[in-house]
Amino acid sequence: MIDSILLVDDEDLFHLVFEDACSLLDISLSLKSVSSSDEAAAMFKKWFDEKTPQYRPECVFVDLNIIGSSFDGIELIRKINFEYGNHVVIGIISSSNESEEQSKALQAGAQFWIIKSDEIEPRLEEFKKDYDGYKDRTAPFKIYK
Amino acid sequence: MITPDKQTRSQLIEIQKQKDICLEGNILKLFKINNDKEFNDYLEYCNTKDKESRKKRIAITKQVQEQNIKLSNLVDENQQIMTDLQNKITEVEESKLTFEVQNRELNEWKKENLELTEKLQIEMLNAQSAKSEALKAKEMAENDLDLLQKKNQTELISTIVKVALYVIIGVGIITTGVYIFTLIMGKDTQVISSAWSNIFGILLTNAFSIVGTIMGIKYASENKQ
Repeated sequence: MIDSILLVDDEDLFHLVFEDACSLLDISLSLKSVSSSDEAAAMFKKWFDEKTPQYRPECVFVDLNIIGSSFDGIELIRKINFEYGNHVVIGIISSSNESEEQSKALQAGAQFWIIKSDEIEPRLEEFKKDYDGYKDRTAPFKIYK
Repeated sequence: MITPDKQTRSQLIEIQKQKDICLEGNILKLFKINNDKEFNDYLEYCNTKDKESRKKRIAITKQVQEQNIKLSNLVDENQQIMTDLQNKITEVEESKLTFEVQNRELNEWKKENLELTEKLQIEMLNAQSAKSEALKAKEMAENDLDLLQKKNQTELISTIVKVALYVIIGVGIITTGVYIFTLIMGKDTQVISSAWSNIFGILLTNAFSIVGTIMGIKYASENKQ
């Protein structure tokens, strides 16, 4: 089970769906949701600057297009991986399935790409099985369709 | 992990039994109890209840999400319809402007046409008046010509009549003179008398013939006109 998860998504309703799905599937112990990439970046910057990595989530799910944010999910992943110290399992959760964007995400350091749809639970269940591989950085980039 | 003391454990179980109030959420995952079947059953009941409520909530949330998506699509469609409508309104306004310009031009043309028509009517009246004047002039000229012709004819006839009468009178005078002279001289008048009477008769016949011919010509020319 993942100790803590951070979801970065502008859609509040998806926060509820994701939280309930994670709870039902026993994926995580705690889950925090934020609505903008700026807020998430600020949180990581604070943990990095204050040198308090223990507060960082274990795993981060980032939406691709986050309305109302200064930058998109790929840029947030790049910042977390290359500016704020890395050490989290991080990937995209989006309704988009564009290969160009997926390549960009991979270059930014994303470890997975979950396609958001009505039936998110089977994908999260599959993700749960692969999670240990992401944690020890042995699993390759995977797209959950 | 959390291990509740006996009193807390009993209170939790009692509250669940009396009011069906249970622990819920991720905190349930933090309890670890060994060899306490009653509390484990309690935790299992809480977990089942929590999952059921989460299932219900997730179903409702998904339904709301779907409705939101539909609503969003409808908003997009409405937006598209509004845009189309706005475009149509703009087109209609442009058409209206074009029609107004064309209408204005047509009115100007109509005005010009009316002016031209008025001018044409005036010119037509002038032309009609000129035509009637020309006809009058023509009639007058024809009358003048007719009069002139008649005058010429009359003059010619009178000249002819005069000449013929002069010739007849001259011949009559000459033959009469010759006959008188013969009588005075005492010569034989048998031949000359018969000649004189013949000539006089011929002259009278010719004179009446001339007059008759002239009258016939005059009558014929009047009928022809």
